[in-house]
Amino acid sequence: MRTRTKLLAALLACLMILTVGSAFAEGETVTINFWHHYSAQSAENETLMNVLIPAFEAENPGIKVNAVSHEWAELHDKVLVSAKSNALPDVARCDIAWLPEFQKMGILVALDEEMPDFAEVSGKLLDSAMSTSVISGHNYALALNTNSKIVFYNKAMLEEAGVQVPTTMDEWVEAVKKLSGENANGQQVWGWNEPALAGWNICPFIWSFGGSLTNEDQTVATGYINGPATVKAVETFAELVKEGGITGFNSGDIPMTDGFGTGRYAMMLEGPWKSAELAGAYPDVAYGTAPIPAGEGGSISVLGGEDIAMFNSANKEVAWKFMQFMTSEFAETEMAKCGQIPVNKAALESETVKAADYAPFIEAIQTAKARPTVAAWSEMDNDLTVAMTAVVTGEKTAQEAMDELAAKWDELLK
Amino acid sequence: MKSLNGAKIRGMILRYFLLALGTVIFTLPMIYMISTSLRPNGALYEYPPRFFPKWEALTLENYSYILNQSKFYVNFLNSAFVSLSTITLAAAVSSAMAFVLGKFKLKVNKLIFGFIILTMIIPGTTMIVPQFELATKLNLVNQLWGLIPFYVAWVIPFSTFMIKGFMENIPGEIMEASWIDGASVWTVYTRIALPLASPAIASVSIFNFLTAWEEYPWANTVINDTSKRTLPIAIAGFFGQHQFTQWGYVFAMSVLTLIPVVLIFILCQKFFVQGLTAGSVKG
Amino acid sequence: MITKSRLNRTQLIALLLPGLLLFAAFTVYPIIRLFWMSLCDMSFSSMLTQPFNGIENYKEVFQDPTFWTVFVNSIVYTLITVPGQMAIGLFTAILLNGIKRFSVTFRVINYLPVVTSWVIASLVFRYIFNTEGLLNYFLWKIAGVTSSNIRWLDTRWGGISVAMILGIWKGIGWNMVIFLAALQQVPQDLYEASAIDGCGAWGKFVHVTLPGIQGTILFALIELTIGGFNVFTSIKMITGGKPAHLTDTLLTWMYYKAFSTGKFGYAAALSFVMALSLGLLAIVQFRMMRNRDN
Repeated sequence: MRTRTKLLAALLACLMILTVGSAFAEGETVTINFWHHYSAQSAENETLMNVLIPAFEAENPGIKVNAVSHEWAELHDKVLVSAKSNALPDVARCDIAWLPEFQKMGILVALDEEMPDFAEVSGKLLDSAMSTSVISGHNYALALNTNSKIVFYNKAMLEEAGVQVPTTMDEWVEAVKKLSGENANGQQVWGWNEPALAGWNICPFIWSFGGSLTNEDQTVATGYINGPATVKAVETFAELVKEGGITGFNSGDIPMTDGFGTGRYAMMLEGPWKSAELAGAYPDVAYGTAPIPAGEGGSISVLGGEDIAMFNSANKEVAWKFMQFMTSEFAETEMAKCGQIPVNKAALESETVKAADYAPFIEAIQTAKARPTVAAWSEMDNDLTVAMTAVVTGEKTAQEAMDELAAKWDELLK
Repeated sequence: MKSLNGAKIRGMILRYFLLALGTVIFTLPMIYMISTSLRPNGALYEYPPRFFPKWEALTLENYSYILNQSKFYVNFLNSAFVSLSTITLAAAVSSAMAFVLGKFKLKVNKLIFGFIILTMIIPGTTMIVPQFELATKLNLVNQLWGLIPFYVAWVIPFSTFMIKGFMENIPGEIMEASWIDGASVWTVYTRIALPLASPAIASVSIFNFLTAWEEYPWANTVINDTSKRTLPIAIAGFFGQHQFTQWGYVFAMSVLTLIPVVLIFILCQKFFVQGLTAGSVKG
Repeated sequence: MITKSRLNRTQLIALLLPGLLLFAAFTVYPIIRLFWMSLCDMSFSSMLTQPFNGIENYKEVFQDPTFWTVFVNSIVYTLITVPGQMAIGLFTAILLNGIKRFSVTFRVINYLPVVTSWVIASLVFRYIFNTEGLLNYFLWKIAGVTSSNIRWLDTRWGGISVAMILGIWKGIGWNMVIFLAALQQVPQDLYEASAIDGCGAWGKFVHVTLPGIQGTILFALIELTIGGFNVFTSIKMITGGKPAHLTDTLLTWMYYKAFSTGKFGYAAALSFVMALSLGLLAIVQFRMMRNRDN
């Protein structure tokens, strides 16, 4: 017993020394902290860690990049909380929908004011993409990538059900219904997958049905988010959910890529990164793409994309270097290989990008709309999810839920 | 008329049957976790689902994937560093506190003990907001070692409470003799109290180890850097960041995380029972 | 027995101080601070400047319909998991108390869920209770109990049920061990006496066992009630509060308000209400325990 205790103690001591040693072994370089939400297993993350950061560090000796990957929603929360605790990173890749909120918190650096060569750097990027970073006349970020969502459909499933690729919303409703039911194994299949009920997911339907979220000035929601066209979009969507045509937003559902790859979801609305994901995980699935079906409002998808922003606690000079690097032709071309549509003009002209066939997405971007660019968007987005949940579970009618939502949003937009 | 003996034997058989049945149901989730970690990721949505993978489909690829990632070792060492530091520090400070509280009648005893009881009856997570503010002020956010003072402070009440009970049971005569010999408080504490209380210290240390090893909400709140994450946040993050939710990887990582805990538990299960029952029987 | 030399006094303080300081700084201070924070408007200001706000945060908490939803969830969770794990734990302990062989084996295996971390156990349960998961397949296609997949994780009570099943599963071992220890302290002659009085197994349980382990039952009740309201990781991992915060509990909702929307004042008020009411509840339970003892 005695010797065993001693042995255990010795073992503990060894482990402690080992772990303490590893915890405090750090070099003397400038480290820049970069937060992003490239998912851990993705090709994007591989490119970032194995191609881009090594290249940047080789170009800039003495600078190290500490890249931290968060899940999308968690990244937003972490930035919010870190702002309160003065623990912000230097640079972050932010969803374009978050910028107004972060700007209002006063944590972003106005690049056009602080960076003397801002005009030169931003001139290399697409004006349309750069416009996502403009808040009350100043630029708070560099555009990093852009995207929009289009329909992905499983060719075999559509063929088997005798369904044409829907081009109008009426056809879409019919197609979703026809494609849902049971497969040969007796497993349930769904015509459409929608992985959440947030603005990113619901807006394309609202817009394509001719509805809207707020007025042009983004100051009032009543009459827009609860207007007849919006309510009709929400109703149609909820009806299909209730009939077993749409799923994916529940915790217990098969994840989107797996469900699509294994033939359980016939169609989905997704961005350019999905092609790379499917090629990696389900190379055998034959799928086609098409624009979102047109309704009264036309075929309107949602404008997505990320900007790269600098926080005011950053080591500005070094952070700026890294931001320039990330938006450079080289970095953007590398990222284009794994589904990120570049915004760097030179990268857009490169052979790689042309080969990637982003044409359908770039076409969708032409007509896509942006989610409201207001500071309260994250909160509004959460309210929207809550309201949509109440509608699809049948707890409230679409009109009731949207009326309540409109009142809440009016408060938030004041 | 049945013989008494027959009824007894039947009772025994029923007992064993129920226990065995309960144990099987009890362990199913863990076995399923292990069996999932041993099948290829592509087979996750196979139909029909299987409890055990096909024999020829068994694979260690999930384990080799996890073990080939240097991140896993970093997370493992982080967890080990935090847990071991926590138990060492907690054992030192709480045994000292327990010694003073249990063996000397000071005026502050009641007050200190009152606070100890008070903090034991408040769910720990309710304090996460002020603790986060404190961590911010002390610059402990995103510091691996910054977890340690919080963990130690959390386990102090329980540890002190338990060790104090044990200290009180050390017969007074043993110490009395030392006082007469002119020994100092420090000598009595290190030479007499500590060795005698070591079983209690060992038992609370096991609990403290578990607490620190599996702690999730706090570490997830204050740690940002990938290189500073402990195992629980690494697993949770790994799960969240994988859009295709690769359960095979997640469970392989989980099994590897559980191995040290289960080993410690089985080796030290005597101390476990001691620690648990001391608290409950004494109340 | 106290030697009053100055040296010893210094040494006593030196022994007490490190633990006391850590405890005071990282546990006691936050409790006091929590109360102050709950009276401040902290939503959009930084952590360091907070204007006094009176009872506004409390008003906001009590007027928030989501608060009442998650409040009910926490109550239901506690009311079901606490008696649930106590009953099964006690039953297992009684079974174990009567056997000699394999007793330790059974005990060790049944205790394993307790040492399994919450994160891991929650993920395992999430996997099992997936709509397309093994359990639904078993219930529907093998056992034939259901005629479709149950949406465990997608509804309010479905999600909470999974968390409750996990809570019970993970808690049985602890109850088993402490009840086993208590059972072994019940004097054997009481059982023999009751047998002579003609008590059956149930009679023995009600008249001898239960009174004999009262203290332990109360102890478990206090500990588990606190634990029930402390449920956090399982909800966060299994449903994440989805759909629309219907499966959130007091603490996951508090956490969401604080760390996802930045409403620290609201979160502090909610936490303080919780800490206060649980503290009072525990004191009542302690009193009961002491009265029984006397």
